[in-house]
Amino acid sequence: MREYREDQPVDFAIVGTGAGGGTLACKLAEYGFSVVAFDAGPYWRPLEDFASDEMHQSKLYWTDERIVDGENPLQLGSNNSGKSVGGSTVHFAMVSLRFRPEWFKSLSILGYGADWPIDWREMWDYYAEVEQTLKVSGPINYPWGPKRPRYPYRAHELNAAALVLAEGAEALGIGWTATPLATLSAPRGLAHPCVYRGMCVIGCSTNAKQSVLVTWLPRALEAGAEIRDLAMVGSIEHDSRGLVTGVHYLREGRWRFQKARNVVVAGYSIETPRLLLNSASGKFPQGLANSSGLVGKNLMVQANQAVWGISDREIRSYKGPPSLAITEHWNYSDEGKDFHGGYSYMSQGPLPMLWGATQSSKRGLWGQALLDEMEKYNHQVGLKIVGETLPQERNCVTLTDERDQYGLRIPRVTHSYSDNDKRLIAHSLRFMRQALQATGARDIWDETDDTCHLNGTARMGFDRKSSVVNADCRSWDIPNLWICDGSVFPTVGGVNPSLTIQAIACRTADRIRAMARRGELITT
Amino acid sequence: MRAARITRRQQDSLTSLHEAASNLRQKYAVPDVLRTHVRPVTTSSREAQWRNAAGRQLNLGAALLSLSVLADSGIEHYRGSFQNRAMYVPLGVSALALAASLFGVLDTRARSHVLRDGLYGVAAMTGVIGLGFHGYNILKRPGRFSWLNLFYAAPLGAPVALLLAGALGRGAEKVREDRSSRILGHPAGQTLGLLTSAGLAGTAAEAGLLHFRGAFQNPGMFLPVTLPPVAAGLLAASVINPGNALRRAAKACLNLTALLGFAGVAFHAYGVSRSMGGWRNWSQNLLGGPPLPAPPSFTGLALGGLAALSLVDKEQRSPST
Repeated sequence: MREYREDQPVDFAIVGTGAGGGTLACKLAEYGFSVVAFDAGPYWRPLEDFASDEMHQSKLYWTDERIVDGENPLQLGSNNSGKSVGGSTVHFAMVSLRFRPEWFKSLSILGYGADWPIDWREMWDYYAEVEQTLKVSGPINYPWGPKRPRYPYRAHELNAAALVLAEGAEALGIGWTATPLATLSAPRGLAHPCVYRGMCVIGCSTNAKQSVLVTWLPRALEAGAEIRDLAMVGSIEHDSRGLVTGVHYLREGRWRFQKARNVVVAGYSIETPRLLLNSASGKFPQGLANSSGLVGKNLMVQANQAVWGISDREIRSYKGPPSLAITEHWNYSDEGKDFHGGYSYMSQGPLPMLWGATQSSKRGLWGQALLDEMEKYNHQVGLKIVGETLPQERNCVTLTDERDQYGLRIPRVTHSYSDNDKRLIAHSLRFMRQALQATGARDIWDETDDTCHLNGTARMGFDRKSSVVNADCRSWDIPNLWICDGSVFPTVGGVNPSLTIQAIACRTADRIRAMARRGELITT
Repeated sequence: MRAARITRRQQDSLTSLHEAASNLRQKYAVPDVLRTHVRPVTTSSREAQWRNAAGRQLNLGAALLSLSVLADSGIEHYRGSFQNRAMYVPLGVSALALAASLFGVLDTRARSHVLRDGLYGVAAMTGVIGLGFHGYNILKRPGRFSWLNLFYAAPLGAPVALLLAGALGRGAEKVREDRSSRILGHPAGQTLGLLTSAGLAGTAAEAGLLHFRGAFQNPGMFLPVTLPPVAAGLLAASVINPGNALRRAAKACLNLTALLGFAGVAFHAYGVSRSMGGWRNWSQNLLGGPPLPAPPSFTGLALGGLAALSLVDKEQRSPST
């Protein structure tokens, strides 16, 4: 790996190496820029470092202290965070979905949320680039949306849990398909194909999972980027002109400074606003890039409610990737809805500890009752949504006065569902219950309060008053400060965001190259 | 020491096989059967010779196909935990068809045999019934006749291999019996040529489907979808419109296809090594990786095609038939 000096400015210092930062680091390095990408987590070697053990693998999560509040406080730390080089893609469920084209113009076409400053047709090409890079295994014909190119690899075989989703969907007369997944269904280079161990969400030790760690980052290193792991960036420095000059970061016990001509913040929806707010100065008392006051605002979760039941058949839902089948019916159909937005739902394969925790925390089972319920593990089957929630300014990330192990102010994450969100959730629970009933499942119960992916808090938009960055992820206020991760989403849609984040990073890299060629980047 | 003992044992068993074969020969010997090594060469003995050679080659083709089916259905139905008892049937039937074929290969008489004929018939019928079972397996799943089910449900092409083994075997018996034999109203060579041509095309289609499932991730995966179809086309063409150049080209391609069947096993063995754990984890990767026993069916069909070619050649040279 190439290494850069701290006192010589690099072209780009990127904070975060996940779906946004890792992808961007690769693309920018390949375009000839000098790049140092920082991550607070370690650089894992999956074959040696990952155990088939849920408890041990919690090392992949960002479990630093946070304060949560609001009417529906979020549970943070596992499925919505990652503290590893590669970010949360190291333990993501690999679901790689495209946005519904209309969502890029939610407000003007569908009448809710906000419009994106990017056209869906442009995104369609970047989606294809990411799908190729991840060798996404997907169905030959995708039932919804405009034509898309063939997925590079074929869909995986369905497990019994996925077949239950298919049966339910066919019984209710809606479409379903094998889920496009970023895990290999055939060998690729040195990587083995998926062996269906089912440990996907605690880190894939087969290396079949096509995370940022094993796809973009090796290419980034090849192209001369440096990945600086175990490096917590605490603040961004700027000069008297209001241009950023580098980042302060803690590594090996002491604070250091890396000079940079451009800084890209890619820390996801909590760490990104936290870093911008923590970098407040005399010149920018509200925090960097925050003249709109929108940094930290419009935090959007995705609803993750589920319906579970017991099947007479043996399901063993933990075999294979957890979400092998999906229906996007309620993302693409606008009939029969009493809410704005959409949701998809997928088959599920919770690992045993998660399942035990779900039974005790969500249903209050304990002692013999919990033991009895766990006996049914091989027969349990469920459907779970990824549901769109609407942007609200009251849902936000702010700073508390408490400080963490780095001496940095701890973020406060405030979240409440809107009435629309609640209607969407109720609709999904009703519908999934019918679908599960149609397959003959019994003892059906609703898991009503889970959430997954976070988005928003530094939205992109058309002008500096109503957004933090423009379509190129460049901040309105500071022309050499960029934000490139899920926090730029103006709306979230009802699909997992990782593919869209990577597509945006690819687009941002192309835009940066074009601007550099025209001499529109800042040269310090 | 140990190796030598095994070799001796193998020799013993070979000798006893030869003895058994010659006993059978004597037992079923008929006076008008001509043998080159006891009688002077005559036109009719030459005829009997090539009839027999063609028949035995067809038996060999059927043997390879049966072996492929035996090993493949053994592995795949084991993988399917023999959930339906009928899943044992192709193992038994293909084993019997293999035995019948080996008997045919060793049998130098230019005559059919009622046992072989019957077993080949059973094999062909089992293939047809298997096709029905596999079709049912596909259609009962959500998605019905979809790509996903064609990829991962019971494979449609596999039982057809048993049907082809039976058909080639029946053809072998016909050819041995009578040089002017006709199958389905056409000279045997023509019918068998077109049958193996169709079989090759079908097998290439199955390889194509499954290699498409594997996203043609290795360039070698294109071989079985290019060479065998060319061989099949040339074979069909030279059956319909015989000519020296066409025949030579068809022969060359069929020979290559026969080799490809063996090369395919090596490729698939490499494929097994590409799964997590490689050959150290053979007990899982043999089931999950590319099927080792599948490619030799190309060899079996190619041998059948070569036999059919020589029959067509003879048929052309003796238009009286």
